[in-house]
Amino acid sequence: MNSVATLERVETIALTIDGVKIKTKAGQTVLQACREAGIYLPTLCYDPDLEPYGGCRLCIVEVAGMRGLPTACTLPAQEGMVVRTESEQINSVRRATLELILADHGGDCLTCRKNGHCQLQEVSGYLGVECRPALLREQTRPIDRSTPFFDFDINKCILCGICVRACAELQGAHAIDFAWRGIETRVTPAGGGLWINSNCEYCGECVSRCPTGALVPKNSQRASRYVKSVCPYCGVGCTIYLGIRGDRIVSVEGDKESPVNNGHLCVKGRFGIIEAVHSPNRLKKPLIKKDGEFVEASWDEALDLVAQKFRELKERYGGEALGVIASARVANEANYLAQKLARAVFGTNKVDCCARICHAPSVHGLLRSFGSGAMTNSISEIEHADCILLIGSNTTEAHPTIGSRIRRAVRKGAKLIVADPREIELAKIADIHLPLRPGTDITLANALAHHIIVSGLHNEKFIQERTEGFEEFWAVVQKYTPEYAENITGVPAEKIKQAAEMYARGRPGMIVYCLGVTEHRTGVISVQAIANLALITGHIGQPSTGVNPLRGQNNVQGACDMGALPEFLPGYQRWDNPEHVKKFEEAWGVKLPKTLGYYPLIFCSRMWDDILKGNLHGLYIIGEDVALTEANITKVRKALQSLDFLVVQELFMTPTAELAHVVLPAAGFAEIDGTFTNSERRVQRVRKAIEPPGECKPDWQIVCEISNRMGYPMNYQSAEEVFEELRRLMPIYGGITYKRLDENIGLQWPCPDEQHPGTRFLHKDKFTRGLGKFAGIEQEPPEEVPDAEYPFLLTTGRVLQHYNCASMTRQVSGLEKLVPENFIEISPKDAEKLGVKDGELVRVVSRRGAVLARAKVRQIAEGVVFMPFHHKESPTNLITNDALDPICGTAEVKACAVRIERAA
Amino acid sequence: MKTEQRLHLCQGTGCLSAGADRLYKALAHELSKLDLPVELKRTGCHGFCQRGPIVICEPQGFFYCAIQPQDAGEIAEALSQGRAVERLCYRDPQTGRPIPTYHEIPFYKGQSRIVLRNCGHIDPEDIEDYLAVEGYQAARRALLEMTPEQICAEVERSGLRGRGGAGFPTGRKWQLCRQAPGSEKYLICNADGGTPGAFMARSILEADPHAVIEGMLIAAYAIGAQQAFIYVRAEDSLAVKRLRIAMAQARERGFLGKNIFNSGFDFDIEIFEGAGAFVCGEETALIASIEGRRGMPSPRPPYPVQSGLWGRPTNVNNVKTYASVPHIIRNGADWYSQIGTKQSKGTAIFSLTGKVNNCGLVEVPMGTTLAEIIYEIGGGIPGGKALKAVQTGGPTGGCLPASLLNTPVDFDSLTALGAIMGSGGMVVMDEDTCMVDIARYSLDFTQKESCGKCAPCRLGTKQMLNILEAITQGRGRMEDLDRLERLAKSVQAGSLCGLGQTAPNPVLTTLRYFREEYEEHIKYKHCRAAVCKGLVKAPCSHTCPAEIDVPRYVRLIAAGRFADAHAVISEKIPFPSVCGLVCFHPCEARCRRALVDDAIAIRALKRAAAERDNGRWKLYVKRRPPTGKRVAVVGSGPAGLTAAYYLARKGHAVTVFEAFEKPGGMMRYGIPEYRLPHEILDAEISEIEAAGVEIHTKTKIESLDQLFAQGFDAIFLALGAHRGVKLGIPGEDEVGVLDCIDFLRRVKLGYHVELGERVAVIGGGNAAIDAARTALRLGAKATVPAADADQEVLDASRMARRLGAKEVRIIYRRSSTEMPASPEEVHEALTEGVQIEFLTAPIKMTKENGSIRLDCVRMRLGPVDASGRRHPEPIPGSAFSIYVDRVISAIGEAPEIPEGFGLRQTKWSTLVVDPDTLMTERPGVFAGGDVVTGPASVIEAIAAGRRAASSIDKYLGGDGDISEVLIDPEEDAPFELEEGERPRVPIQTLRIGERLGGFRQVELGYTAEEAISEARRCLMCDLEER
Repeated sequence: MNSVATLERVETIALTIDGVKIKTKAGQTVLQACREAGIYLPTLCYDPDLEPYGGCRLCIVEVAGMRGLPTACTLPAQEGMVVRTESEQINSVRRATLELILADHGGDCLTCRKNGHCQLQEVSGYLGVECRPALLREQTRPIDRSTPFFDFDINKCILCGICVRACAELQGAHAIDFAWRGIETRVTPAGGGLWINSNCEYCGECVSRCPTGALVPKNSQRASRYVKSVCPYCGVGCTIYLGIRGDRIVSVEGDKESPVNNGHLCVKGRFGIIEAVHSPNRLKKPLIKKDGEFVEASWDEALDLVAQKFRELKERYGGEALGVIASARVANEANYLAQKLARAVFGTNKVDCCARICHAPSVHGLLRSFGSGAMTNSISEIEHADCILLIGSNTTEAHPTIGSRIRRAVRKGAKLIVADPREIELAKIADIHLPLRPGTDITLANALAHHIIVSGLHNEKFIQERTEGFEEFWAVVQKYTPEYAENITGVPAEKIKQAAEMYARGRPGMIVYCLGVTEHRTGVISVQAIANLALITGHIGQPSTGVNPLRGQNNVQGACDMGALPEFLPGYQRWDNPEHVKKFEEAWGVKLPKTLGYYPLIFCSRMWDDILKGNLHGLYIIGEDVALTEANITKVRKALQSLDFLVVQELFMTPTAELAHVVLPAAGFAEIDGTFTNSERRVQRVRKAIEPPGECKPDWQIVCEISNRMGYPMNYQSAEEVFEELRRLMPIYGGITYKRLDENIGLQWPCPDEQHPGTRFLHKDKFTRGLGKFAGIEQEPPEEVPDAEYPFLLTTGRVLQHYNCASMTRQVSGLEKLVPENFIEISPKDAEKLGVKDGELVRVVSRRGAVLARAKVRQIAEGVVFMPFHHKESPTNLITNDALDPICGTAEVKACAVRIERAA
Repeated sequence: MKTEQRLHLCQGTGCLSAGADRLYKALAHELSKLDLPVELKRTGCHGFCQRGPIVICEPQGFFYCAIQPQDAGEIAEALSQGRAVERLCYRDPQTGRPIPTYHEIPFYKGQSRIVLRNCGHIDPEDIEDYLAVEGYQAARRALLEMTPEQICAEVERSGLRGRGGAGFPTGRKWQLCRQAPGSEKYLICNADGGTPGAFMARSILEADPHAVIEGMLIAAYAIGAQQAFIYVRAEDSLAVKRLRIAMAQARERGFLGKNIFNSGFDFDIEIFEGAGAFVCGEETALIASIEGRRGMPSPRPPYPVQSGLWGRPTNVNNVKTYASVPHIIRNGADWYSQIGTKQSKGTAIFSLTGKVNNCGLVEVPMGTTLAEIIYEIGGGIPGGKALKAVQTGGPTGGCLPASLLNTPVDFDSLTALGAIMGSGGMVVMDEDTCMVDIARYSLDFTQKESCGKCAPCRLGTKQMLNILEAITQGRGRMEDLDRLERLAKSVQAGSLCGLGQTAPNPVLTTLRYFREEYEEHIKYKHCRAAVCKGLVKAPCSHTCPAEIDVPRYVRLIAAGRFADAHAVISEKIPFPSVCGLVCFHPCEARCRRALVDDAIAIRALKRAAAERDNGRWKLYVKRRPPTGKRVAVVGSGPAGLTAAYYLARKGHAVTVFEAFEKPGGMMRYGIPEYRLPHEILDAEISEIEAAGVEIHTKTKIESLDQLFAQGFDAIFLALGAHRGVKLGIPGEDEVGVLDCIDFLRRVKLGYHVELGERVAVIGGGNAAIDAARTALRLGAKATVPAADADQEVLDASRMARRLGAKEVRIIYRRSSTEMPASPEEVHEALTEGVQIEFLTAPIKMTKENGSIRLDCVRMRLGPVDASGRRHPEPIPGSAFSIYVDRVISAIGEAPEIPEGFGLRQTKWSTLVVDPDTLMTERPGVFAGGDVVTGPASVIEAIAAGRRAASSIDKYLGGDGDISEVLIDPEEDAPFELEEGERPRVPIQTLRIGERLGGFRQVELGYTAEEAISEARRCLMCDLEER
């Protein structure tokens, strides 16, 4: 324990720089010490986020007693060091070096897009160059304009290596590197050809850091002001700055201060926002369907119609005939009001959100095991884990900046175990890849637990003191030997054993999982089986441990928090707790619906049957494209078409919106004030940066308008006012205010009072439910297993470049160019058996339908195929299975039986 | 089969490439045929790779080199009789005498082999062999009897410094790594032999891999590492293979793996095959490469001992360092620290390559001088060429001039001079090496091998290379030299790693030691080694001081067009015939044909052309209208007359003043008649007079003011160097030593010179030879040999004695290699009976009984002097006396400048002029030839005359253009090159018997057919670019 204490104590050292005594933290470089002391040192290759490099040779200094001219950026500061940053020799060498660089740097400054922001200009100004040296060679090498997002002008490259290092150290993609030697040394995309043919992931980290005009975004403009916001895509919730010029977003940058992403972004965040927000295809006026055609209408006309129709249906069939699907894409405030509308105005508990299709099993499973259904730890902690067990998560594609973080952890020496049927990017850098068959996670988790226990690597003290149910658990798990598991999962027993030991020995060890685990009808119990692993090892309740579901959409956590779920009131408050119910009834001034808490709950995945059975007549869908993203969408579409009245509130005319009676145009994330809650329970602010296009309104306002017209006044003056109401009703949000959110980079719930700093990780000394609960879980197969007719097991997922229904990302020409159509990954052996070639169009047929997709022959377990689900022209969910988890109603979109036919 | 008799057959990369594997089979076959109880052993490299394949017969130590499979039978047979095969033995390059055992071969004799001890003597693929020479004893001792601290201390006490080049104390490095926090540590052996011409790492791994493994085992135990890597180039496949075999055998024996020697210590080694980047010899780049990253270096600190491979403390040493360790542990630090110098202990291993007789791996104690390595072990420079420079440490090492050859080889001495020890490359360069080109070549290499990470190295080396290329192509400017130096210093100071920091060494050292070569390239577009392609059309014409277009006239001769050939020669010089007879032809020394067989006989071809001239060239001579300017030329030697000739052609009125009776200077009074008959000289001088030059003989000029007063607009002083230099030994004046020049002039003028019977000529230049041969002729007058004397003749000295002729001997203090006289003159002199006492110096003269007693001492070649030659030093106790009747001193001449000139002189009494214009400090007064340079050659004087003419013409308002085209340059056509070797067509000479009776021309010249045949040997280098 002593050694840990020593390590954590920050030692201060003193050194003399240019005659001035300076104090700094031990472990800093001389350059960092200089910067802290406000001493400028010229440099072209230094980047505080990257490892020391020492390439440009401009930050050279003299150190008493040291030979030569060491670079300050690589020189560790030491107690008593005497440093000179200026001398005749230093400057003459610096100038000579700079002149060499300038002699190899082409282009005209005035017409360069980096003009004024160019590091080379700054350094030249500082060192004082009297004239431009003659060029060493003609700078006429072709500019690589092949990528949709940025251009690479090698003539302006000064080989500082920042791009290469950022790609390797921050993104972990290794898509660019140095090639050749000597004067021919250059930065080259992997493969050596055009950038577009490389394995670049277009995170843009290199572009944002390039000190010269070598890497510049296409059509970039400098902003006149910046607005801090949150990326509207996935559940990571990267903090961003929107650069605004006039009424347009002209740039997007990550917030380097943010612990969520540390300035890092993915291709969607960096290059996929501007075109989506400013798309000409945005809905701009309310639309009312008349004779099968949408007709533009005024807001009054549309809202009156909506209110009237819902009122009529409620009167005719009762409140339970109405339903609301809130949105994991809209702000907390709108979600809170949407569920309030359902429960207080419509009088129905048929309110849900898209968490149903993804992490409802996590909410339930973790609740059962720990008492709290969210990510136990924080994103930033991933980087400090010693061992990461990653299950069913293609992180680099679905949660790209977390994917990069895992890569960074591995770079720093963390062990990585990847359990995934596909050889995903992270599997390639993993210490162990467990290519399990889809839907066999329980067996794998049990076998891992089995081996940990039989090897004596379990944490007995932790089990004794902080858990319950171990005996029952062991009674079940006993039979799951690695050898037994090998037959079911297809993973060699030896590998399972290695993985078990590696995870158990991790100090600390962390589990990260995603939809590969949850999107099965065994989702909840699979989550429990995984949670068991943390309980036997005690890898929970400490930094960089825990069981961490990566939430899907940017505000899916918030939508759940807000109670846009039939099973919980806001803040996971319970129907069966009279105090909770009473609190809301008093606050809202209504009686809550009697159907509350009655099973089976009508999850949105059950609404379709509910509609078809004639129980549900009117549906209000906010920002959700169920006609594309739900399983077995044939049924979904049929249900939507048979509704008496469907209102869809959207940004774009989605397949779902097309089926609506009324379409209401909503303002996007950049056009509103509000809060999003990301996967790590961090509540962050979005701010109105620009005016919404046309007549679009913020979602919360539209909800208020409908409510007002239905006779329940909602007269909030601002989103903040909504938030003030909800936080008073939700203890976990109790201490969060807009002001505090502005002062911090968000706050992580639980945050019960205004003095509370938020919670980085859960279950520190005590589980939310008291003791951690072991569960003995038996493997159940997917509902559909391959057979002679449908010999393949289809699993689905996201790609990096598109986001879910892709209503936004497909507005972005560059993203569309990168992934224009649906595809199916097939293993080489299967492809050969089928006679299918890479790039060939195939028909994928299940018991529910058929879609066309382009074959991609890739490393994936034999008998398993993979498809994304973003393309409405070829909607994968036509064929997915809507078998539901009996506990939480999540559909088994990760496993269904298909056959593949050659299309030609 | 262990027997007394062993045949060691080298199976190193060098010998294998020379066919050692086939030889092995042949030997095995022959031995089995004879059923000899002989062990045939494959060994690693002996180091003498140049002479491979090598076979050693032990225990006698018979050493056979360059053995072919067909020699196997003979070797086997001799072995059965216990004798050596003389035919296959190494031969002394000087004497041609076979040296049967390697113990006596200078290449081995001069070495102290410690690290290379086993190389060539054990089978690298058999661990038994290594164990038999106490292999792994040191490791056993270290692991079982010593603590890691003790080992570090012992190694530190031994003074061992890292053999990778930087020379960091090894023991201290181990200690630092041992003390660095962290339980996981690594050991790396840097075996990346990236330096061109340095192959010792590879050779040691091929020949003695266990020594490296044992050294690593000891080091690993000392620092606490359990895993090691050997970084070796994949292309060194034999080294990799032998290492793998050795590691497997070591593992089998338990020297690698778990619980080694039951000490509880675990250790293993992995081979990492590098892709071959020079920069990966740098430890941080090497580490990056092992980690799977691009091999780019990182700044230190932090040092690898703190944070190396995967951030763990890592000790990096090279092959030589590890291989030294077992010897230190076995024999103790005291033993090791006795070897070498105060600061650099132990031995240095070099791969000696380049222009040196014996190339190969050399191990000598630190502190051995470069001269000792090059001359004693390396056997000197081949082909009698002069040594120009040595580059140590590979292409980033500095080039040291011959004058610094006494530098002891150790880390600090070399660094002080701007060179480095580096990884131990040592490239010897002779006079055919252009130092600017070497700098360019080195930079071309380093530039291409720069990893590109830091700007100074990536861009600075390229900028330097560009400048050097411009200079070697004739586009250089004088200010480039300053730029180059500034750049070099910034790259040195600013670069990240050793590559960039040392890359400027070749530039800085050549600028420091060979600046004049740079200036010649820039100012005169001249490359004295005739190497730089952009400047050199053909090496012969480039080397000719007068720039005669040699290939063109040779080609015309090949076509049988002798008169046209003469016209080409006449474009540049007014003395084609004289030069055809007496030129010292530096052109031939650079002739590329010599690489095939012999150089073209350029001088003889010139004579052949001159002899067949028809005067047609005169039709094309341009005569310019009179300028009204008058030029006085003082002195009528080759410089004065050449200047006069071209000035007259430019329309100036030229008057030549000559103190002697007849014009011609040294051509007339210094060169004996048997080499240059006076009528030939007269004919060429009359052509000059015909061009309008007035020659006033017997007119000695004492005052320049007088000349200007006479209305001359410019004066050219070409007084030559006529005053002999004194020997400076006791008795010189008492005995009446004859001055060589005075002697030759008197003979020319027909005066009687009393020589007596026995003559000693002191000196080694052409003048000495001329004096000796002349003396021989004078004395031989009375005893004209019989007409039949030329049969069997030609052991000349014997004949001379038989005839009872005079005894003429030359006394020269250095050896034949250093002798400045033309080899052909020396040859003729020896042929005629002159004796030469090499390595002998007179120390005193006394008159004794009517003759002169000349006390001499034998000399030996010691350290190198400022001229880059090894300085002769007396051998103590070797004094002896000879008795002669006359002593002629021929050790050099100096000019005599009349006091009244009032011009500044150097300490050698030569005139000070502007090197470019040849003008003295007095405006309008120019000087050239020997009076400026000291005694030189006819052709150099002619060249000086040309430069003076051009310069004076400019001074007088002309354009300075004295070029002439006397035949259409397009007229010569290339001929078909002959394939294969064909030596030079011999030049007929007068039979010995006919020579000594008088001063008849000795050389008879070529017939037309012979000349054509000789000319057709020309390789036509000048057409290469066409």
